[in-house]
Amino acid sequence: MSIVTIDGVKVEVEAEATILDAARKAGIWIPTLCYNPSVSNLATCRLCMVELDHGEEGQLVTACNYPVRRDIVVSVSSNRAKQARRGVMELLLARAPESEQLKELARRMGVEGTPYPTVTESQHNCVLCGLCTSVCEEVIGCSAIGFTGRGVDRIVAPPFHLTAEECIACGACAAVCPVGTIEVRIHESTGEAEISPFKARAKLLVCKECGANLVTEPVIRQMFDKVKIEWEEFRKRASLCPACRRKRSAEALGLVAAKSREVNFASGKD
Amino acid sequence: MTLSGSKVIESPADLEDLREKLRKQLKPSAKSVRVCIGTGCAAKGARRLYELFLQAAGESGNGVEIEAKCVGCHGFCERGPIVVVQPGNIFYQGVEEQDVGEIFRETVIGGRIVERLLYEDYITGEKARTADEIDFYKAQMRIVLAENGSIDPTSIEDYLVSGGYSALARVLRTMDPEQIIAEVDRSGLRGRGGGGFPTARKWRSCRGAEGSPKYVICNGDEGDPGAFMDRSIMEGNPHAVLEGMIIGAYAIGASQGYIYVRNEYPLAVDHLSRAISRIRDLGLLGEKILDSSFSFDIRINRGGGAFVCGESTALMASLEGRVGEPRAKYVHTVESGLNSKPSNLNNVETWANIPAIINRGGEWFSSIGTQSSKGTKVFSLVGNVENTGLVEVPMGITLREIIYKIGGGIKDGKSFKAVQTGGPSGGCIPAAHLDVRVDFDELTKLGSMMGSGGMIVMDQDTCMVNIARYFLSFLKDESCGKCTPCREGISQMLHILDRITHGEGETGDLEKLESLAELLTETALCALGKTAANPILSTIRYFRAEFEEHIRDRHCPAKVCRGLFLYEIDPELCTGCGICKKNCPAEAISGERRKPHVIDQTKCTKCGICLEKCTFNSILKV
Repeated sequence: MSIVTIDGVKVEVEAEATILDAARKAGIWIPTLCYNPSVSNLATCRLCMVELDHGEEGQLVTACNYPVRRDIVVSVSSNRAKQARRGVMELLLARAPESEQLKELARRMGVEGTPYPTVTESQHNCVLCGLCTSVCEEVIGCSAIGFTGRGVDRIVAPPFHLTAEECIACGACAAVCPVGTIEVRIHESTGEAEISPFKARAKLLVCKECGANLVTEPVIRQMFDKVKIEWEEFRKRASLCPACRRKRSAEALGLVAAKSREVNFASGKD
Repeated sequence: MTLSGSKVIESPADLEDLREKLRKQLKPSAKSVRVCIGTGCAAKGARRLYELFLQAAGESGNGVEIEAKCVGCHGFCERGPIVVVQPGNIFYQGVEEQDVGEIFRETVIGGRIVERLLYEDYITGEKARTADEIDFYKAQMRIVLAENGSIDPTSIEDYLVSGGYSALARVLRTMDPEQIIAEVDRSGLRGRGGGGFPTARKWRSCRGAEGSPKYVICNGDEGDPGAFMDRSIMEGNPHAVLEGMIIGAYAIGASQGYIYVRNEYPLAVDHLSRAISRIRDLGLLGEKILDSSFSFDIRINRGGGAFVCGESTALMASLEGRVGEPRAKYVHTVESGLNSKPSNLNNVETWANIPAIINRGGEWFSSIGTQSSKGTKVFSLVGNVENTGLVEVPMGITLREIIYKIGGGIKDGKSFKAVQTGGPSGGCIPAAHLDVRVDFDELTKLGSMMGSGGMIVMDQDTCMVNIARYFLSFLKDESCGKCTPCREGISQMLHILDRITHGEGETGDLEKLESLAELLTETALCALGKTAANPILSTIRYFRAEFEEHIRDRHCPAKVCRGLFLYEIDPELCTGCGICKKNCPAEAISGERRKPHVIDQTKCTKCGICLEKCTFNSILKV
């Protein structure tokens, strides 16, 4: 256990915890963009800069991946740290001026606008944080998207910029995207989900009971491949929306009388 | 003289026996022709010269034994191909195919000099018979490059005769790992790749780190524009690098080594591969080396051409087969590097220094150089100097000595403006600091750095704003794009510099550049980004007035930035021949025949064609 003193607040953290872990424990907010606990550390956005007290001259480090290995003193509110975070945010705002999420984060940081013009071309405000590619590779296990190109030409794309066969249109990339670049679009006419801007599409499953949209077919297939439960009932329940599934479970447990079948669950709400 | 078969050297005694045997086979009276086949000379046809000499030697007969051999880079590439004849060390430069017969007949057989192929001093006109008489070589001190130019890089025999692998035999027989590290510590050797981190300290940390296996890695991903130090070492004396790595691996406790060489260095890859397979056959690499309990092997990995892969964590990612991008180094690579195992990465030149340090002692090494920087450093001296090439000099030599004594001063009698050291991450040093003693810390104090040893000399006609822009655009192309400050910050700075060099600079631009530079230094992920602003910061620091003149007066004092100076015709020199008028695409030039012409500045597009076409030097840049 090590003690981290952040802006005067002392917290104790486990070995190999990061400064960000300590700050969250201490209730101190540090802005982050590319941080998500479900994927390995990226430290690409550089927004979480804090100043580490080294005695004479402090050192700026990224809070999200700096491992706490001894007792340390950290300043989130020092001028130098604030200046650095502001500078990084201004660069990000110049790159992705239309992202509402980014503007919101900037406002929370006290940064209103940027002095810089837009000089790098971004794909729908993408700030290249890497969360989408990481979640696709590490959590979903598909690696349907990755970085291509170098430097300012870097973009997130499926292999060879073609529609990725590996993509199961699960939407995890859209869920983690912090700037709203990636979206799941539902095409009601064809019953498909599309992951924009990667153009991958997959058929949506609908709830066998109520007809509500579920996940895509390949997601269910992948789940069945991974979860080897040889129980017919499991497969049946997987084709229901959460509400209908709960209902069926309740029935199975005998807590609800069979006549409650008449109750309309079509709204899909609890 | 070659080793028959692949007799395995099983012990240090075997090695010494073999060395003695090889030395006895040497005929001190034998004549030899040494042809440099380094990349520079090879590009000018040295391979063919070697074949011709080999053929001539074979046909000479008369019981005279003549050896024709290829050797590594001499460093004086601009004068290549270089051929040295023994005995006498006769140094011929700029040798062409038709000279082979004459050299062979006159010098090799007849012992006479072919005057016209000797190096001629560009000031005194004196001819130099040997390399030692040439200013370019006089002030040099060669440790790493000592054997370049005398041994055949593809011959293990040559390396053994010159004392090769005796340092390895010695450490395996008489020293324990701690003693080796202590010896390197005594030498004061610091990493030659640019960082200048004390080598012994790195080795000790890696040795002490937990985890197995451990790796040693040689960084041969030399990517600075105009730099070729490491290439020449790998090409010219590959065994020195290998011996250094084997000794280091033994000291650290590593069992596997990697050499990461850029793919654009095919000759280095070839020589290293041959050297590795030879010593593996001989038993100097592999299981239980020289009867010790130490086993170690080396493999070569070719880089894909990304500058950022010279950065240690990016290099290791590339070795693992992933995209070569850096990661944060809060946990050092000596603790968790390649495959998350303890990994010790050193530059080619650092490894090549090790055998000499073991053989001659750390104390000897530390007697060379300054308080904080010991030994020698190889620089690639290029740009507007008379003599360009690879130079190895003792630390502490002044910039003036390198540029004026070795480099022979500025070309065409022009004046010195600045010297850029340390590659794209380094800085530009002005004339006021020419007497600074070159070492790691002094160059850093000046806002530049030692880097891996690039040294670009610039004359009065160089625009410093344009130079800053050049290095920054190089870094923009080479930035991997992973972190925000490097990717976006460099682009923003370049955008400002583009405006300034196009005459669209605004007040406040310099302050903006400075604050962006500080942001990059503070927040970038890896060393590429953290140092990317150095070329800008140092040029603003020393040449602020030049930047201001671009911004305020829309004028480029060096007359480089197009549109920021005017072309005028000198009426005294103009003969009125009309060539400029005929060639001007904007029809901006007028004048009667045989009378001075005039440029209409309102029509002139500043393309510079008139200057190119005028044969009377009457077009002026003002």
